Amino acid sequence: MKQLISIEINGEVHELAVAPQDSLLHVLREELGLIGTKKGCDTGGCGCCTVQIDGRAVYSCMTYAMSVQGKPVVTIEGITENGQLDPLQQAFIDAGAVQCGYCTCGTIMAARELLATVPDPDESQIRHAIAGNLCRCTGYQKIVDAIKLAAANSA
Amino acid sequence: MTSSTTSTTVLGKSVQRPDALDKVTGGKHYPVNVTLPGMLHAKLLRSPYPHARITGIDASAAAKLPGVKAVLLPQDVPQRKYCPVYFVPTLAPSMVQDMLIMSDTVRYAGQPVAAVAATTAAIAEQALELIEVDYEELPAVFDADAAMAEGAPQIHEGAENNIAVNPVVAFGDAEAAFEKADHIFEGVYETQRVHTCYMEPRVCVVDSDTGGNLTVHSSMQHLFGLREKLAFVLGMPESKVRVIKPAYIGGGFGGKLDIGYIEPVAALLSLKTGRPVRIEQTRYEDFISTTRNPIRVYLKTGISKDGRFVARYAESTLDCGAHATHGAEVINVHGMFGILLTYPCPDQHWEGKTVYTNNMIGGGYRGYGSPQGAFAVESQIDEICEELGFDPVEFRLKNSYHQGDPHPFNPQAKLDSYRFQDCLTQAAERIGWSSRKAAGSDQGVKKRGIGLGCQPIWVSGCVGFPDIYEHSGAIVKLNRDGTADLSTAAVDLGSGQITTLCMIAAEELGLEADQVRMTYADTDTVPFDAPSHASRVTYSSGNAVKAAAGQARQRLLEVAGGLLEASPDDLEVCEGMVRVKGSPDSQISVVDVVTRAESPFVVMTEEGPQPTNLEEKGTIIGLSSMAPPANPSPATVEFVEVEVDTETGQVKILRVVFAHDLGKLIHPAGAEGQVEGGFQQGMGYALMENLLFDPDSGACLSSDFLDYKMPTAVEMPPKIESIFIESNEPTGPFGAKSLSEPCVTVPAPAIANAIYNAVGVRVRELPITPEKILAGLGKL
Amino acid sequence: MSLTTLENYFLPGSGGEVVQLLQEYGERAMILAGGSFVHGLAARNLLPGVDVFIDIQKLGLADIVAGSGGLEIGAMARLADLASVSEIREDAAWGALSDALRCPPVQIMNTATVGGNIAAACPYFDLPTAFLAIGASVRTEGSSGSREIDLEDFFTGLFENSLAQEEFLTGVALSRPEPGSASAFVKLETNANDLAIVNAAVHMTVDESGACQAARVALGGGVNEIPLRSAAAEKLLTGQVITDELPAKVGQAVQADISPMADHRASAEYRSAMASVLTERALRSAIARMTGGN
Repeated sequence: MKQLISIEINGEVHELAVAPQDSLLHVLREELGLIGTKKGCDTGGCGCCTVQIDGRAVYSCMTYAMSVQGKPVVTIEGITENGQLDPLQQAFIDAGAVQCGYCTCGTIMAARELLATVPDPDESQIRHAIAGNLCRCTGYQKIVDAIKLAAANSA
Repeated sequence: MTSSTTSTTVLGKSVQRPDALDKVTGGKHYPVNVTLPGMLHAKLLRSPYPHARITGIDASAAAKLPGVKAVLLPQDVPQRKYCPVYFVPTLAPSMVQDMLIMSDTVRYAGQPVAAVAATTAAIAEQALELIEVDYEELPAVFDADAAMAEGAPQIHEGAENNIAVNPVVAFGDAEAAFEKADHIFEGVYETQRVHTCYMEPRVCVVDSDTGGNLTVHSSMQHLFGLREKLAFVLGMPESKVRVIKPAYIGGGFGGKLDIGYIEPVAALLSLKTGRPVRIEQTRYEDFISTTRNPIRVYLKTGISKDGRFVARYAESTLDCGAHATHGAEVINVHGMFGILLTYPCPDQHWEGKTVYTNNMIGGGYRGYGSPQGAFAVESQIDEICEELGFDPVEFRLKNSYHQGDPHPFNPQAKLDSYRFQDCLTQAAERIGWSSRKAAGSDQGVKKRGIGLGCQPIWVSGCVGFPDIYEHSGAIVKLNRDGTADLSTAAVDLGSGQITTLCMIAAEELGLEADQVRMTYADTDTVPFDAPSHASRVTYSSGNAVKAAAGQARQRLLEVAGGLLEASPDDLEVCEGMVRVKGSPDSQISVVDVVTRAESPFVVMTEEGPQPTNLEEKGTIIGLSSMAPPANPSPATVEFVEVEVDTETGQVKILRVVFAHDLGKLIHPAGAEGQVEGGFQQGMGYALMENLLFDPDSGACLSSDFLDYKMPTAVEMPPKIESIFIESNEPTGPFGAKSLSEPCVTVPAPAIANAIYNAVGVRVRELPITPEKILAGLGKL
Repeated sequence: MSLTTLENYFLPGSGGEVVQLLQEYGERAMILAGGSFVHGLAARNLLPGVDVFIDIQKLGLADIVAGSGGLEIGAMARLADLASVSEIREDAAWGALSDALRCPPVQIMNTATVGGNIAAACPYFDLPTAFLAIGASVRTEGSSGSREIDLEDFFTGLFENSLAQEEFLTGVALSRPEPGSASAFVKLETNANDLAIVNAAVHMTVDESGACQAARVALGGGVNEIPLRSAAAEKLLTGQVITDELPAKVGQAVQADISPMADHRASAEYRSAMASVLTERALRSAIARMTGGN
């Protein structure tokens, strides 16, 4: 049985009907066309679907849409302001951290929480912050470089 | 023998990837994002049994569920046997045609037996639960040896002892040579089933029109292979199938190199309903769709007193699962490039067996049989060195091919740009090989060790193999704004094919890298290209792109020559200008030349209408469709330093030094990315990855990333150091040859050898889990 | 069954409503806290018969309150919330908790709740082992009121707990530790996004003479169907002056109390060996914390 809910995504409030089992990921991609959030496994293991809820990185595939009412959600589409890339987005480009790119948005969303709480993270903090985000292309090296670069550029 | 590299202006710089901005802001163009108006969603019903005969299917309740638009059962599907592999002609005699889209015989747990198309994926899934299938269970076998034994269940008619193919390759007289050997070593080396773990699932959207034409969007690594296989299995002419090239896909690594079940099923459902049909696989479905085949290698090597290979004998048993698919070719690549061609040895005998079992089917995966071989060969070399007291680096140097030697696989060609010795010596120095300790001599609970693994011979594509497509093509078109469009069927898997090919075109045209754009392609509009596989795109597609760009450049110079009243041979293109060499004042912009070529014959000027030259008219365009000239071999060496916890058996990778001769280095950051990502895959293969199945039911036990473990950023070493040794490959575009696959092949033996050096434990079975190390230490 | 047939998703506003829903739907209902574990079960088709979720986020159970008696942790507090509590970060007695909370990836830390982590009764989780070592009790609410259950009595089997059908977990209570206490937790995992193959935690209180006055040794991660305490190890440790040889002996002692499981992730033999190694390491780490004060 679908229920009418209201959720706030990237500052915009959406009213929509969701099924009880619908994940936030499903709603983002299938209902709202926010396709920057990716489905890589749908079982909370790859990190491609990472978004921020209340400023915290979560797997949107294991978050039920019903549970996010009243909690602001930010997706990759919400971090570019007035055409200005988030420092992480720019750093991922500059550091060569993007290959197939399918994990990129989720990893940026996880790293975003790190930089918001630890402005000058060390290598170990960076690596742990993205431990929930799998990448099969880069070996993470240039991703770690990109996060360091973003931290330096934001300092 | 010259090694000087070609001087270039665009190549060699880590330019920004043209797809990066799109990907960091959301990545609109993945196949998974394709939707079409009126699109239906389909799901596959998969057998829970590994071996069974379907005696009845009742889908009437499913068909009645509101929202269900079509049901597909085995009786609705053309019963045309095929080989799903993209890079061979469909009826290639070297391959085995043993697959059906749907059959009344199930040969592995998870094989599709029915499909439903509905207005939503949730309805399709619900409908699957309403389909009743009666199975008559048959005895199943999950082990290659058991499958070959007498009395084993017969998996395919006509496959004696369940052997799908049984190649034998011999040079000289191995038996006699062993008689003369001073030392003989033997061992059995086993590798496991692993998945490429591309992050974007396999997905397709297939649409049909009233004329029965199909338009296909898919996440696959090969446009033309998909067109050919799909047309074949559906019994349609190829011209009725148009495959659209995705701007990029979310990883492939060989795991998207064969037609899955989803494209033909979606096509049939679309033809049935007249609507576009989308199928996206779940991660579980992806895990059982493709794998690197497990191979068990028995390897026997004869060595002379002075430490040279004198004889080699090997038997390789490959478990291909329910269908041969890639297994019929992987076994050959494994035998040749994994074992026989690795180091010169005059007398060799190898036998391969690709064996049917009721396990999941196999597929392609970076390395394509060579990782399984390298693990055996490189492990055994270190065992030989340990036993006979040779230094493993010296031993390999002494036993290797040299620059200028005849190519071991194509003796008519030479190893012109081969720099194995430089790779080995430079990497050894960087890791600090000379300070390596004796095996197991490190003190303390955590012991360190250094090891190496090599891939002395590999490919830059497939030339030389029977029955494998290798041609490439490209279209290069100059625009009136001074930029160029490049169109090719080569798919970018993420490894940077777009960047590399655009850079090659830019270099040839005299433009900047960002002035060349990779543009639309489909199977109707561009020349044939072989898949993005076999480390081939830089070399093979690169040559085709260079040829097409060269043709466009030649035409640009001809038109410019007319305008500058100079011979095209005296012109050069740089910084957006066509110039007369040595006369910098005599020049015209590329924009003006291209505009002039596409302008009307009569142009209006202040002086009134002026006729121009008919011969300068026409879009400046170049086209190529060609086979690459050769198949040069790169050489690869990797050193790894590990730390082994002797109480838990856990292994930590401390350092990695990788060296590779890639001819011309085109995009340094991209090349490093190949090495770093390749190490992640190779390290996972060495230490943890394993697709596991229930030994009784055949059900997949590692169907998600909680159970299928791969290295995260935390387990990876802090730095992977890449040494690129440049040389000039005379047949390559600007001297380039290949890189990708050896990056994945060398880590496992390097790690195994480093573990041995650390703790004196030799593990001959991947993955080298903590348990195996502890058992080796006598602690379990 | 898959979740395609899920019938309803409730967001009750009070404990009374939760109990009412549990009464109404019985085994068809599942309490949802953070949802990470429930999602894991659903994704594996391991929720047979469940077609109603009861999300308890509106009950105001997310607070973590430090008092003189100890710490009251609301069931809906996220692991990340717990990790940021200064008492936990700074008190060596609760070091095991800090250690355990460093393990999961950030997305799980931000999603999984303390209550869910306990109620799941999953032996492979980290928090239950750490809680068992430092000593914790579970607060519940149900049709017959609220009660407090010692954590040791809470786990009854693989994925089974001692909650009644119409009862749910509302929080976890930690007593303020004795002075001179320290604890530590150690986990064995394949990668940083893994459930424990084996984990172990040790909590100890040492008197002025340097002897161990009280000790709690806990293990999880497939050393049994439930996370457990090792009475043998605790007995060996209690009353002893800490020597360099002691940790290995305590590690060996846990063998008397475990019965490791074998599965595709590890053999029983390996888990057994690791139980001793990890216990020893957890004890050494606790001792270091005691002496080093961190």
